Amino acid sequence: MDSNICEVYEDEIQSLEEEIKLLAGKYEDSQQESTFFSDEEILMSIKSFQRELRGESEGYESLSDLKAQLESLETDLSFLMKFTGIQFTSHSKKTLEKTRNRTVRKHRLSGNCRSLSFQLEFQLLEMQNKAGVSAVITDLSIIMEPGGDSDLSKFVSRKRVFKSTRLKNLAFSCNFQAHNALEENRGMLEHLSNMFLKEAKFSRLFSISTEERGSLLTFFRSLSSYAEWYEHRRCTFLHFKVISSVVFTNNLFSNCVFKHTVLS
Amino acid sequence: MEEGKVYASDVFAHLEMLEMRDHEAALKEEEELLQEEKLARLKARVKELRLQRDELRAKLDLQEKRQLEKEGPASDPAQFSPRAVLQWKIKSLQAMLQVFYLTGIGAKLTRRGVCFCISTAYEGTYLGSYYLDLLTKSEVKIYRHSVPAFIPLKQIAEQYLQTDIRRFLSVLSDQLNAYAGRRYQADQLQEHFSDQIKGTLQRNSLYNLLVFNYNVSSKSKTFPFNVRLLYGDLCCSLPTEVIVSCRLDAPASLTETAAAHSDLFRRMPLHKAFRSFSSTG
Repeated sequence: MDSNICEVYEDEIQSLEEEIKLLAGKYEDSQQESTFFSDEEILMSIKSFQRELRGESEGYESLSDLKAQLESLETDLSFLMKFTGIQFTSHSKKTLEKTRNRTVRKHRLSGNCRSLSFQLEFQLLEMQNKAGVSAVITDLSIIMEPGGDSDLSKFVSRKRVFKSTRLKNLAFSCNFQAHNALEENRGMLEHLSNMFLKEAKFSRLFSISTEERGSLLTFFRSLSSYAEWYEHRRCTFLHFKVISSVVFTNNLFSNCVFKHTVLS
Repeated sequence: MEEGKVYASDVFAHLEMLEMRDHEAALKEEEELLQEEKLARLKARVKELRLQRDELRAKLDLQEKRQLEKEGPASDPAQFSPRAVLQWKIKSLQAMLQVFYLTGIGAKLTRRGVCFCISTAYEGTYLGSYYLDLLTKSEVKIYRHSVPAFIPLKQIAEQYLQTDIRRFLSVLSDQLNAYAGRRYQADQLQEHFSDQIKGTLQRNSLYNLLVFNYNVSSKSKTFPFNVRLLYGDLCCSLPTEVIVSCRLDAPASLTETAAAHSDLFRRMPLHKAFRSFSSTG
C-alpha cells in the first residue's frame, strides 16, 4: 500500500519537474524576446559589471569569458554580413508554442541586400525526435521594399497569377528598338538583352513559389546575386536611351508585359 | 514429563525465539520508520515543487498581462543585472547567427581562416548541413570538409575557390541543395507511399538516377508501372528525363495514364506527384 503512495508521489514529482523546466524555459524565452538593449546599454552593462567586480578576483573570469564570447559572436556575424552582402537591421521572435518536443516561434526580420530592402515573417517549427532536431518553416511572407523596383515586390508576393501556368513553358522574347541605332550601340544592346533574359530567370526564382513553398533558403540564395545584378542593370540603364519590352507568354495567353523605358 | 523441572535447553530455545521475534519487530519498526521518512520527504518535495511551479505560472501570467497592456517592453529592463544584459546580448547574437543558418550559410572565423557551414533545405524543411574548413593565409585551401564524395567538390574548387569564394560556395550550395532535395523526395516517397511501391527504390548515391515500380489501379485491377527518372542537371531537384512504362499486356487506356504520370514527374516533386494521382485515382 505504502509503495503505491510512494509511486504516486514520485510520478507527480517527475511531472512537476518537467513542467517547471518548461515554464522556466517559456519565461526565459519571453524575457529574451520582449526586451531590447541598445549597443550603448550593452557597453554600460559591461562597465557596471566591471565596477561590481572590483576586488573580487573570481568574478573577472566570468566577465572576461562573457566578453570573449560576445566578441567572437560579433566578429562572426559582421563577417557573414559583409560576405553575403545581407544586412539584417532588425530581428524579433515570439514563442507561440512550446512543449517537450515541439517549439513554434514566429520570426520577424528586416534587412537589406545592397539597395534592396526586405521584410519577412515566418514561423519556425522545431521538433525533437530520435534523429535530433528538425526545423520546418511555414507561413512565410515576404515584402520587398521597392529599392526602385516595384516589379520585384510583385514577383515575390503575387500569389495566384502564375498558379495555372507552367513555368517551364514560359517563353520570352526580347524586342529592342533603339532610338539611336548606331553600330557601336549594338553591342550594348546585346548586353541589355542578356540582362533582360537574366531578369526573367531571376523573376522565376523569386516567383510566388518562393512564398508559397516556404522556401526562405531559395529566397536568400537568389537575393544576393539578384541584388548584384540589379545594381549593375541600374548603372547600365543610366547610360542609354532605349525603349524595350519583354513579353512573357505561355501557351494560352500573355499575361505579363514589362516596359522598361529610360528617358533622360 | 517430570513436574517442575525446566530444562535449560528449553529456556534457551525460548529465549532465542523471543530474541528473534524482538529483532524482527525492531527491523520491521525501522523499516516502517524509513518508509515514513521517505513518504514525508516525497510529500515535502511535492509541496516544494508545486510552490515553485505556481510561482513560475504567476510570473508568466504577469508577463503576459504586461505584454497585452502596453506597447513597450513587457519585461522591466531594470530587472536585468549587468550579467543578465550581457547574456541577453549573447543569446540575441546567437539567434541572428541561427537566422543566417536558415538563409543557407553559416561561418565561424578560425585562427587559420574560416569555417563555412552550408545548410540545405527543400521547400521549407531543413535537411542536413555540410561544413568546409578553409585556410585563407596564403592561397585558399580546403583543410577539412564534410561534403559527400559523390559531389564534385574538387572540380568546383578548381574552378572557383581561388578567384571567387562566393561563387564557389554558391555553386556548391546549389549542388548540395539539389542533392538533398532529391534525396528528400525519395525518402518522402518511401515513407508515405510504400504501399504503392513494389519492391525497393533503386538509386545511385547521388540520387540522380531513380528506378522503381509502382502499382496503378484501373477498374479494380492493379498494374505495375515502371519508372526511370534521370536528373541530368545536378543543380536541379526535378528530373530531366522521365520514362514511365507499363507491361505489354496492360490495357491501352493505361498508356495515357503513363503519359500523364510522366508529365507529373517532370513538373513536380516525386511525393507530390504521387499524392496528386493517388487522390485523383
